[in-house]
Amino acid sequence: MIAHAFRSLLAPTLRPFTIMACAIILLALIDRGHGYFFSVGTIFSVMQLFATFGLVALGLGLSMLVREFDLSVAGIVGLAGCIAVMTGVENPWLGVVLGVGAGLVSGTLQGLIMTRLHLSSVGVTLGGLLTLQGITYVLTENKTISYPNIAVALQLNEPLANLLSVRSAVALAVFALAAAVMTYTHIGRDVIATGSDRRASRIAGLNTDRVVIGVFAASGMAAGLAGVLLSYSLGAASPIALADVLAPAAAAAIVGGVSVVGGRGSPLGIAAGVLTLCILRSGLSAIGVAPHVHDLVTGGILIFIAVLDAPDLMRRITTWRLDRAERQAAAENQT
Amino acid sequence: MTKRRIVIGIRIVTIAAIAVFALTTPGFTSPISINALLNAISFIGCVAVGMTFITLTGNIMSLCLGATLSASALIFLASLSAGILPAFVLALAFGIIVTAAQGLLVGYFRANPILVSIAGLSLLIGGADLATGGQRIYPGGEGLQVFKGRIAGIPVEALYFFATVVIGQFVLSFTRIGRVMTMVGSNARAATAAGINTAAAITWAYVMAGACAAVSGVLLAARYGSGDMELGTGYDYTAIAAVLVGGTAIQGGSGSVVRTLIGVTVIAVIEVVLLLRGFSQQLQYLITGLIVLAVIMLHTIGERR
Repeated sequence: MIAHAFRSLLAPTLRPFTIMACAIILLALIDRGHGYFFSVGTIFSVMQLFATFGLVALGLGLSMLVREFDLSVAGIVGLAGCIAVMTGVENPWLGVVLGVGAGLVSGTLQGLIMTRLHLSSVGVTLGGLLTLQGITYVLTENKTISYPNIAVALQLNEPLANLLSVRSAVALAVFALAAAVMTYTHIGRDVIATGSDRRASRIAGLNTDRVVIGVFAASGMAAGLAGVLLSYSLGAASPIALADVLAPAAAAAIVGGVSVVGGRGSPLGIAAGVLTLCILRSGLSAIGVAPHVHDLVTGGILIFIAVLDAPDLMRRITTWRLDRAERQAAAENQT
Repeated sequence: MTKRRIVIGIRIVTIAAIAVFALTTPGFTSPISINALLNAISFIGCVAVGMTFITLTGNIMSLCLGATLSASALIFLASLSAGILPAFVLALAFGIIVTAAQGLLVGYFRANPILVSIAGLSLLIGGADLATGGQRIYPGGEGLQVFKGRIAGIPVEALYFFATVVIGQFVLSFTRIGRVMTMVGSNARAATAAGINTAAAITWAYVMAGACAAVSGVLLAARYGSGDMELGTGYDYTAIAAVLVGGTAIQGGSGSVVRTLIGVTVIAVIEVVLLLRGFSQQLQYLITGLIVLAVIMLHTIGERR
């Protein structure tokens, strides 16, 4: 009974939330009522981190749902940020539209290249990543661009009800929208079907090419929005600063229960995955633990999930058990 | 068959075009620019050779080789007081242990290679910060000259890189485990059915990758005379780009170390030519990115049935 409950808590659909709960309980235990962890300040900073990484993880996670891998999200974050900062001085909304638009265009183009030419996503999006970075370098002339409209930066980070900022509220809203689309519309079913078995879906009459292009367009827009929000709130954009978001975003999506073999995962799970990593980072620093502990804990969790999800894990364990039983039986026969 | 010939033709024309473009660039054949080219090839080349093994066995790419490079460099610098050879061996052993552990998980449990590599990256960054306190590491002894300078006008780094290429290609072409690696990448199920220990082959591929990354780390450490975890930042993406430009298939099973050598050289030549022709840094990035994208598309179209 207990074993059954334990197993269902670790089942893919529930696991992201179990891990998140474990992280919170663990941090609360370490904190032991000092009040550093369960404070409004910690929650606010967790949500600020969520706003930075969440949308990138959402985009990458969506591409993993259809069994592809969108490396270019890291490039789009940088490009969209720079475009927004350069065009949105007079009218911030123009920057948002152009930045997200750049993500939409690059995602759609890459999706078209992949589906029309039947190319693998890793190759195309790697080329896309390098090209997008190149465009960003050209646009910014290899310099950090500052954003003179400080009012926008302040407004984006203004606390709402002490817990959220406008920026994190926008990120949460996008996640809610993605969750609603994936749960209540046929688009969600189509995406899962395409990721589970593309050939079968095509035979069943689904236009899988359109699904893949759509997913990459959505992934580009999510990453673009993440870049715009981040650059506005930092008041600056530079071609180099934003390059290192890919690994954390991929980690968050996988912790969030997105399967790398496609067809499994949900926006809510991804949100839980992102929150887990953000809680670990902000929570550990809030209770005064050295920063390397965060990296070590994250690495440990990722190894745990990688092994837990490994398709041959059970087979190996069974073989080892059988071998041992056999050896024991042989030893008993001898005596 | 004819299609294959067309693709090979396109490849030859492309390489010829780049060669002509390079040789007609004023100053390209000067010793200074050739040396710069050889240096640029060597550091990234070793990592790319290592990445080739991972891609070839069907494990796409590792996001951890850059960090393995940095960490091996730190180990090398810190243990230099024990002598240059023990330090080199220690760095090599460290790189191998880091990637072999990942190879065991990927090989024996079929754990996801990208996820495992991100975990390794995280553990390495955390571990290095714990050990060094975020400080730069300076050499604890003498003898760095072995890994820099020139012999007969050729940068030593390039000699080590070419040795890595030769050893790598030898392992792939002339040893049983190397041939098994290609077979596992091309069809893991068939390899298993043929009674081949696919898990061991994948683990060995990761061992090679770690060793190559460590060599690159040692060369970079000797070059700069100090090191931190930033040393290998960005090398993962450049390395996989070189592997793909060389024509190793991203789904595994087809490719070679020599192809990667070509890939690294093509990218480096383009960068040097753009530099010599006076393109700004930012335009260099953009044009290199576009060419990489185009070459990868060209290859994969060729591989398609």
